[in-house]
Amino acid sequence: MTSLRKIFEEHPERRYIMFGGKGGLGKTTFSAATAYWLAKQGKKVLVFSVDPQASLSDIFQRDIFGKGPVQIMENLWAQEIDADQHIKAYQQEIRQKILDMYGFDRVPDEIEQYIQAASAEPAMEESAIFDAVVDIVVEGKYDYYIYDLVPLGHALYYLSMAKVYDEWITKITRLREEMREYEEMVARLKRQKETEEDQILRELQYIRSRINASSRILTDKEKTAFFFVLVPEEMILIDTQKAAELFARFDVPISGYVVNRVVPRELLNQNIPPYLKNRIEMQEKYLREIERLFGSQVAAYVPELERDVTGLEMIAKLSHIMYGD
Amino acid sequence: MSQEEKKSFWQNLKEILYGMASHDMSRYALRTRASMEHLFILITMGDMIGIPILPPYYSLRLLPYVVPQISTWKRRLLREKDISDAMF
Repeated sequence: MTSLRKIFEEHPERRYIMFGGKGGLGKTTFSAATAYWLAKQGKKVLVFSVDPQASLSDIFQRDIFGKGPVQIMENLWAQEIDADQHIKAYQQEIRQKILDMYGFDRVPDEIEQYIQAASAEPAMEESAIFDAVVDIVVEGKYDYYIYDLVPLGHALYYLSMAKVYDEWITKITRLREEMREYEEMVARLKRQKETEEDQILRELQYIRSRINASSRILTDKEKTAFFFVLVPEEMILIDTQKAAELFARFDVPISGYVVNRVVPRELLNQNIPPYLKNRIEMQEKYLREIERLFGSQVAAYVPELERDVTGLEMIAKLSHIMYGD
Repeated sequence: MSQEEKKSFWQNLKEILYGMASHDMSRYALRTRASMEHLFILITMGDMIGIPILPPYYSLRLLPYVVPQISTWKRRLLREKDISDAMF
């Protein structure tokens, strides 16, 4: 039994699976292969991408961008979140709310300008994706959720954003509560009846619960399995170590490391060009280093395959290498 | 004295007492409340006057509730010499 498989079998409660690492190392490929294997085990799986340049469409060879969960095979669904679409729908919701609340025929210019300007902010897209993920996960329809994570920097931004937002919201909630106390005081002095409920305060509490839901999942030691993807190369190794430290600081539970693109050593027995021989020797050096640094935390070594992984057939092959059967 | 007159007498007395004792207090409280409201709009809708503070995604959620206050808020902020004056 592969040790990656063992992790899944020993911890069936870990339902949120994430592969993180630098761009282009095989996160999407591993997400797809893991989703495939779990689906074959009879689990209902959703693999989804939070990356604006998502590549799940490419790997499954189906256009799924912005189409909600699309069924790929039995038990397996894939989804690519279209942030723009999400933002547009959200803006429309806000406009409608303003119209309904005040009985306007149209949104006042000043307000409309603000709605448009706010959506042009760079943080908007991240937040929209963040929010869409909460919707997907809170629904809880699947046995497993596999996050095809964005490259490390973004993932960290995503996590730190949750913390900053949470603190921020806590502060304004406090201000809002204080405002409410003044309102109540006036009501008491004037001997009026109870003041009406502060809808803004309720809205703030809702926002906080959304933000917390998302960051709680990312940092849930019981239910989350986070795997680092790396390849045996010096720069990647250094970056992975740095990222692992940062992730630990944000309390992301790291379940293991998956080493990708290992050139099979057996090739050395054949007559191979020096170019390939040098690469194998270089990898050997870093594999030893990986062994020394991460040791038993390495969940799998995945060989360099003869072709790129796209389409279900190659995904099945990779899943077999990673999980057996 | 009829019941009605008695009530209105008490009512009057109550209002006089309110005016003497707590009208100023409640006025003051209302003013403070209004200042806080403006501070609140500033930190949530800051980018309207070029001060981005709250992540815009969530400030949009709050926007519908402050629509009526936006114009007084802008007027007030522009009237003040310094933004920090408006805060306190």
